[in-house]
Amino acid sequence: MATDEQTTDREIVLSRTVNGPRALVFKAFTEVRHLSKWWGPDGFTTTTRAFAFREGGDWDFTMHGPDGTDFPNWITFTEITAPERIRLVHGTFKGDPESFDQVLTFTDIGERTDLEMRTVFPSKAHKDLVVEKYGAIEGGKQTLGRLAAYIEKEGQI
Amino acid sequence: MARAATTSDAFNAIAEPQRRRILDLLRGRELAVSELAGELGLPQPGVSKHLRVLREVELVRVRSDGKQRLYCLNAEALRPVQEWVGGFERFWEASFDRLDEYVQELKEEEGRDGD
Repeated sequence: MATDEQTTDREIVLSRTVNGPRALVFKAFTEVRHLSKWWGPDGFTTTTRAFAFREGGDWDFTMHGPDGTDFPNWITFTEITAPERIRLVHGTFKGDPESFDQVLTFTDIGERTDLEMRTVFPSKAHKDLVVEKYGAIEGGKQTLGRLAAYIEKEGQI
Repeated sequence: MARAATTSDAFNAIAEPQRRRILDLLRGRELAVSELAGELGLPQPGVSKHLRVLREVELVRVRSDGKQRLYCLNAEALRPVQEWVGGFERFWEASFDRLDEYVQELKEEEGRDGD
């Protein structure tokens, strides 16, 4: 593992229990016909130029937002241990210096699967940048100041 | 969810309107409990209770100044909230919602294939 306690200020860990056996949940990551069905929030679609699910293989694709904005994406799979673990580098183009490392871990809990996605950014600044960028993708660039303003407004209702 | 499964995190702390008002009042200045109580028009023990919750999640800090205890905002503790609002976490939570739905479809397909 490249991650350790030292990375906590520049990583985001998300976890989710998916209602399905591990082999099936893993399978949903292995082919474009599966990924295109669920990758991205509601209203997002993807167009794939290249896809190779193997170590060192790439997924070159564009995400189309609900408002018609296109977001180029480039993923390189760096480690695949079926059906337990996928490690990848995720950026906007091949060799993107602002790309980040993601490790997906699939834990078998019977008929359900614990899925953990650990994203490690090169630095805290990179992490903040990506969080901002995803905020922009959703059309709501939020800063602490604007959040505080929102809280203030809500607080008065 | 990325945040801890506890009742005392920043999300819970700011869910209460009076606590949000306290955070607003503490933006850019330190205040004593009595001053906060005056501004809010609330009894001091109630304000102290809210401040205790805010301190537990480090949204406010306190320092002693003579006989007074002065409270100030620690905006950095709002970062989990900012990250959630900022989209990365929400983006993936929404993707995982769709993944879950899609896995149900796959289950049905596999069930049919197996017959």
